[in-house]
Amino acid sequence: MLNPQSAQSVIDHGISLGADFAELFVEQSQSNTVSTLSNQVQSVESGIDFGIGIRLVYGSKVLYGYTNKPEADELKRIMSELAAKDLRVPGISSTNFDFRKVEDLHSAQRTLSIDSEVESKVAFLMAADAAARAAGNMISQTRGSCRQKEQNIELFNSEGLHTTDTRQYIRTGLTSIASDGSEQATGSWSDGGLLGWELQDDISAEKTGSEASRQALVNLSARACPSGRMPVIIGNGFGGVIFHEACGHLLETTSVAKKASVFHDQMGQMIANPCVNAVDDGLLLKQWGSINIDDEGLDTQRTQLIKDGQLTSFLVDRIGAQQTGFSATGSGRRESYKFAPASRMRNTFIEPGDAELDDMIGSIDRGIYASHMGGGSVQPGTGEFNFAVTEGYYIENGKIQYPVKAATLISTGPAVLKEISMVGKDFSLACGMCGSVSGAVPTSVGQATLKVDDILVGGNA
Amino acid sequence: MSIETQAQQVIDLVKASGATGDLIIDQGESLSLKASEGELEEYKVSSSQILGLRVIKDGKVGTAYSEAVDKTALNSLVEQALTNASFTATEAHESIQLNNAQLMTDDTVLCPAEEVSIERKIEFSLGMERDLVAKPKVKNVPYNSVQDITGQRHIFSSAGLNARSKSRMCVAYAYALIEDGDKNAMEGAGQANRLFADLNVNDLVARAYSNTIDILEGSPVESGHYEVIFDEEMQASLFGVFSLMFSGKSAKDGVNPMREKLGHTIADTRLNIIDQPLNSQGFGYSLFDAEGIATAATPLITDGVLNTLIHNSATASFFDVATTGHASRSPKSTMGVGLHQVEIAAGEATSTDLFAGKYLLLTDLTGLHSGANAISGNFSFGASGYLCQDGERIQPVRGITVAGNFYEMLGKISLIGKDQYWNWEKSARMPHVRFADIAISG
Repeated sequence: MLNPQSAQSVIDHGISLGADFAELFVEQSQSNTVSTLSNQVQSVESGIDFGIGIRLVYGSKVLYGYTNKPEADELKRIMSELAAKDLRVPGISSTNFDFRKVEDLHSAQRTLSIDSEVESKVAFLMAADAAARAAGNMISQTRGSCRQKEQNIELFNSEGLHTTDTRQYIRTGLTSIASDGSEQATGSWSDGGLLGWELQDDISAEKTGSEASRQALVNLSARACPSGRMPVIIGNGFGGVIFHEACGHLLETTSVAKKASVFHDQMGQMIANPCVNAVDDGLLLKQWGSINIDDEGLDTQRTQLIKDGQLTSFLVDRIGAQQTGFSATGSGRRESYKFAPASRMRNTFIEPGDAELDDMIGSIDRGIYASHMGGGSVQPGTGEFNFAVTEGYYIENGKIQYPVKAATLISTGPAVLKEISMVGKDFSLACGMCGSVSGAVPTSVGQATLKVDDILVGGNA
Repeated sequence: MSIETQAQQVIDLVKASGATGDLIIDQGESLSLKASEGELEEYKVSSSQILGLRVIKDGKVGTAYSEAVDKTALNSLVEQALTNASFTATEAHESIQLNNAQLMTDDTVLCPAEEVSIERKIEFSLGMERDLVAKPKVKNVPYNSVQDITGQRHIFSSAGLNARSKSRMCVAYAYALIEDGDKNAMEGAGQANRLFADLNVNDLVARAYSNTIDILEGSPVESGHYEVIFDEEMQASLFGVFSLMFSGKSAKDGVNPMREKLGHTIADTRLNIIDQPLNSQGFGYSLFDAEGIATAATPLITDGVLNTLIHNSATASFFDVATTGHASRSPKSTMGVGLHQVEIAAGEATSTDLFAGKYLLLTDLTGLHSGANAISGNFSFGASGYLCQDGERIQPVRGITVAGNFYEMLGKISLIGKDQYWNWEKSARMPHVRFADIAISG
């Protein structure tokens, strides 16, 4: 996308300004989104993102700029502007790039650059809509979408790195709205991964539609949720958002290096119940949060974060490694050329255990079974987090009683990790978008169903 | 290639294909600085441009965008939009308005000239962090930023529309992490002004510090139903989360619960909500909407009655009403609707009445994006703030949740204050509203 001679002259210019490290991140992405409303195509949107991110590092200080103009003179102008207050003894460099071909571990087939396959996606969403409506005449509306993106990146840096990578993302899903005339409730289902539209072969439009409607109808019949401190069973798959928010963000060197994480000085210590083993894995085949290389050009890896309750690793990017002394874990990620990379999660999950769901429910006198979770957020400095229950049930005397609505779970990361007492066998992963300092990146969350002994449930009963 | 040349090339191609269309060109330049431990940790500059095209051919609408602007990219932009249109259902109500207005915002008001050296901005950034770290018990200032952002939008259409707006925003914010033994807290404050010179570092540092230190000793209150006042930041955010209730687009799509309630009382009869796009004190100022339609003040709720939904020309046509000038579109999106700048009219309660007796003042809500369902109105958020008695803060409160149904809450208003406040981002202007009977879990 950028010729190496231009890149070399720009990188050399950065070093001549006294920078310790200079990098160009070139991105050209194309995307296509098909949206449906009921059984009609509401829109088809597509576009090209193109730009170049320029990073200069002086010590641990990051100077970052970006532009849509690829001319070497424009890139040098931005570098000079960035470095104007940091001029040091000019370095002399004639960077020789050593092109490194990255092996594509995920090899997508039905990619956007071959064909956007709009008709096929529309057919899938229509089938999902039909399945959703088959759940009953209380389903008043559906919204479907299928978004496909091909991200091409090219990296050059002053250490001679020159590499390219292509990431193929696809995500599709449906939201059902159920209405009984006075109230409305929603339910949704989605699938996705690091692959092309061959995703279609692994998923079912029938399941997408029927699951969305089942959840909407459950929520329509749900009662107000009891509130207060109580045990909560958190469902598998997207339930892993609890670990993502409560712990994952606090293990990123983005907050560790600033001592803005409660875990910054706890390496090697027991930070969780011994039944907790947690991993951040960038290598999982065709998973939504996987990558071949990170956005700094480093190989990705499987990183064991917690082993038998003990903190074993942080998620470390280049600057984080420099600041904390821990080795980089191939976790430098960014939404696009508009962001400097930062340490971020990939596919993050709690490994499965051996508990049974019935035993978890049977052990609770008064509590909640949160079978499906929504999103949440965390304040890394204090570890305080919240996340929303999108499908939940009240448990009394060891038995599920009735569905509940509008519940939020709040606690702190350090507290909840120690309150996880049972981990089940039904492990699964789910797709999400994680927002942080370097923008929104695709991440998977995951776990088997697990029990938290004590957490604050916010309901309005 | 100049903006006008790019636009002309695209619009000519659209017309040659037998379609109509409009083109948004957004450009931006920004500088942002972050400080850490007395040093500049991040220095970011950007220069960006993006084109977003909407075409209508044979009653079908297609959109496409591009950040590349060479001739090939512009040709591809038009081709893609036309291809996308071919897949969509016929949309009888969406059209390119016969609007050849020439509109331009006033740079002297929205984008005032100011000479500010980069050294001064760096000193502001470093000084803000330094002064906050120097306060007792502050461990560090993990999130801080000083930004100078200029954005410009052009809209051109095949009907001859040429509208331009330009706006500048100078922003500073800082979040301090305070630790004292086992206890910690992180809160902050922000400011936004059109002139850098109007940012006040001393005020910002003082507020960021007091917001954090005051909450440090917070603990949950007993679960129950409380009278609640949200501070000016959280109240604006809360109303923003549920702004779908005014959306003509959501009503057209069948997901707005207020669709059948036009002309009905949906809130306490003392509540008046108006969209005020032409108040230039705020950053929601909009001279025209995304279709180039001139904006005007729009009463949304008048004496508790839902007066109107907000419309673009397509949703207005669907409901057989006039557009309210609320078309909203980013270069990457299809046409929707959006509020410009929400105002709640001043009520009659004096501070003495508003803050009488016992109530919770909530100064932070967490999970606003995930804990709310704008279709049902249900919400459950993490919250912190203060238990107050007769205007005095008697206990800092943390680790609680607030839950309820927003649309029901609009009918549970105890009092509306006489004084209006901007939130710090200056996107909404409201008096304090005191709500009754709100479920709190502690």
